[in-house]
Amino acid sequence: MSDVIRSDEGSETMIKIENITKTYNKTVKALDNISFSVKGGEIVGFIGPNGSGKTTTMKILTGIIKPDMGKVTINGFNIREDPIEAKRSIGYIADNPDIFLRLKGLEFLELIGDIYKVPTDVRRSRTKDLAEKFGLTDALGSPMISYSHGMRQKIMVIAALIHKPPVWILDEPMIGLDPKSAFELKQLMREHTKEGNAVFFSTHVLEVAEKLCDRVIIIKNGHILYDGTLEELENQNKNKSLENIFLELTEK
Amino acid sequence: MKLYFRLVSALIKGVEPNDKEKKRNKIFYVVMSIIAGFGIMLPMAFFVGIIMYTATGALMQNGTQENGIEMFLHLIAVFSFIFGLNVFFSVFYFSGDIENLLPLPLKPYQITASKFTAAMISESVMEYLVIIAALAGYIIGGNMPLYSWLTAIIGTLTMPILPLIYCGILCMAVMYFTRFIRNKDTVNKITGVFTFLVIAGIVYLIAQSGFDSGKLIDALSNPENRLLETMNIIFPTIPLLTGSLGNGGILNFLMYIAVNIVAIAVFMIIAQFIYFPSVAGVGQSMSHKGKSADMTEKMHQISCSASYLKKELKILLRTPAYFTNCVMINFLVPVFVYLAYLINGQTNFLDSFIYGIRSGNEETVLIFMIGISAVSVLVTALNCIASSGITREGKHFSFIKYIPVSYMTQINVKAAVSIIISGAGMLTGVIIACLLLNTGIKFTIFCCLLSLLSVSFATYLGIYMDSINPKLIWDDELNALRGNYNIFFNMAIAIVTEAIICAGAYLLFKFTPTGSILIIIMLFVILMILNAVSYLLCLRGGVKNINSIE
Ligand SMILES: Nc1ncnc2c1ncn2[C@@H]1O[C@H](COP(=O)(O)OP(=O)(O)O)[C@@H](O)[C@H]1O
Ligand SMILES: [Mg+2]
Repeated sequence: MSDVIRSDEGSETMIKIENITKTYNKTVKALDNISFSVKGGEIVGFIGPNGSGKTTTMKILTGIIKPDMGKVTINGFNIREDPIEAKRSIGYIADNPDIFLRLKGLEFLELIGDIYKVPTDVRRSRTKDLAEKFGLTDALGSPMISYSHGMRQKIMVIAALIHKPPVWILDEPMIGLDPKSAFELKQLMREHTKEGNAVFFSTHVLEVAEKLCDRVIIIKNGHILYDGTLEELENQNKNKSLENIFLELTEK
Repeated sequence: MKLYFRLVSALIKGVEPNDKEKKRNKIFYVVMSIIAGFGIMLPMAFFVGIIMYTATGALMQNGTQENGIEMFLHLIAVFSFIFGLNVFFSVFYFSGDIENLLPLPLKPYQITASKFTAAMISESVMEYLVIIAALAGYIIGGNMPLYSWLTAIIGTLTMPILPLIYCGILCMAVMYFTRFIRNKDTVNKITGVFTFLVIAGIVYLIAQSGFDSGKLIDALSNPENRLLETMNIIFPTIPLLTGSLGNGGILNFLMYIAVNIVAIAVFMIIAQFIYFPSVAGVGQSMSHKGKSADMTEKMHQISCSASYLKKELKILLRTPAYFTNCVMINFLVPVFVYLAYLINGQTNFLDSFIYGIRSGNEETVLIFMIGISAVSVLVTALNCIASSGITREGKHFSFIKYIPVSYMTQINVKAAVSIIISGAGMLTGVIIACLLLNTGIKFTIFCCLLSLLSVSFATYLGIYMDSINPKLIWDDELNALRGNYNIFFNMAIAIVTEAIICAGAYLLFKFTPTGSILIIIMLFVILMILNAVSYLLCLRGGVKNINSIE
């Protein structure tokens, strides 16, 4: 484990978001007073159609954008008051993997390792491990500009995992991954939560969430429509497939 | 035609910030535009105008007045050709919108013509200013009739067409006939070296003339100037344009228009035939496969700042567009210095300067020091490493915000990159100059310090200026630098500030009994204060700006 300080308060609730509202350009209300929390040991899926506010929420969680109002706590640290400690607790995969394409894959991982202070030996073994899992070992020495979209996405995944942060925030992480890598990632997400960490990921594909999540949060037009387990959701709507429930919910 | 205008406006808008972004920074833009206008554009236009006015007056005596303006316009044409090469390779073959435009039911000439127009309009703003200023100097100096002004305005707007058509045709021909340039990195490298050579060549030619304007006028008043005759064949629009300014220029003007129309027609016909075949199979960049037995064994931890610094340096050095525009330019300084020394002995001006330094003449030493400071600031602003420090992050700007590294640390690392690269070029130049002038160790160290202080002031100022409104939406690295108002505004502020200081120092020496030592000490103190101010600007304003960028 890298030197992330775990505060006492955060041992239970790893992500806490309270009454967040965000308006773009004073006109587009992307998020309207949303609140939820994610506990350690939980995988939570964030589901919603395109443009519903998933990326916006994740950017607020990671401190990239400032909400109009509301409070974000990550691992017990307020993202505004303790930004460095809060950010150190997060492994984030942005929705666009095209970053520092002039660097080689390995150089990018080195940069991330140095930023999150991952010691040399830990870094070596983790990189080796993860690169093998994702079939990226041979590409580590090439500039990322020569990578396919999927390979770039994989490097982002490795970069977000290399420092084993207590909180994973993954924005549509499955996009562009081949089935094997998607399987590996899901596996990693499960392992990670077993160690008491939290995983919060967004998707607009229902199937991904179905098998993986302990809980789902459904968002539409900046409002949270549902927050609970998928089982409960199915019980509430007997005789309907999940897909239909989802469509009904989000098409209102 | 309607389609053409729509495409052009779509292409121009593509590179401009959207309305919302503009509105937010309206006051900033107005203030900056005024500073840039009065600080750089007007003085430059005025300078060009005066030179043309004087030259025309001098050349009138033996009736060769159009030689001056023609030569000047040819120089502009050559420059716009050189700088256009990179731009046209990029817009015709490597820009991101190609993939979207190609599948549309558009004719090749429609795509190329609209891209040509958009590029010409956005690349030529400064050029228009210089041309109109030169023509104004010529018209006034030559007592031309009133209607020449109208001709001059039309001429200004249309003059860049021919050199850029050459560019466009050359780009298409190169891409059509050669198979080796399949990615923009190669193009950037080749055009970068080419630009460097041409600029060095022009500097060498100017240096050979010994900074002697008399010789230049002599050469230009020769009615049978070989160089000019050749250039008039290469760019036939230029003599036609100057010819149409004087009395009875209507015929020349009609021919000027006709030649331009023919050139455009030729361009469109060529585009129609070779654009599609040449654009097929163009890739974004080379893919080199490296083998990696066990790359991971090479990994080792270093400090966060050092790692960040390495990343910034690697990106600057490996991206050809940055390498040629931001890095190489610094090393023109030592080249200049050495060239200037080589041709000494041929001119009185340099001779007396060198003698002045060696003998410790107060005024010469002061000018030397002021010059070092001025060039340091100019080079740092010009290479735009600092003033594009945030802009270069582009679409992945959010990286700055989500990593657990404070914004000021990141600003400091970005500043270090600028200071290292600008400083390397400047100090090499300064040390070579001091060695050639035999100034002694202490003096040399002093000069280096002065240069570094100036560089770091301009660096922090540049980063602050960039943080106010970085241009984060670009798809080609060259576009991050070209047409970036921040870089331009930063240059304006840096130049104006430095000009005030330098002029102040010199005037103080000339018109008050203040000694040169005291003035140099004051220069040091002022630079240190400016360093503190620009650092504080970053610490207070820059960090806040980064915080509010989304
Ligand atoms: N930078 C921005 N400026 C203006 N509007 C934005 C911006 N980013 C997102 N939006 C708007 O906010 C809403 C939510 O977007 P986003 O969070 O990206 O959705 P999702 O990730 O769920 O697809 C959309 O209506 C989108 O148009
Ligand atoms: Mg999204």
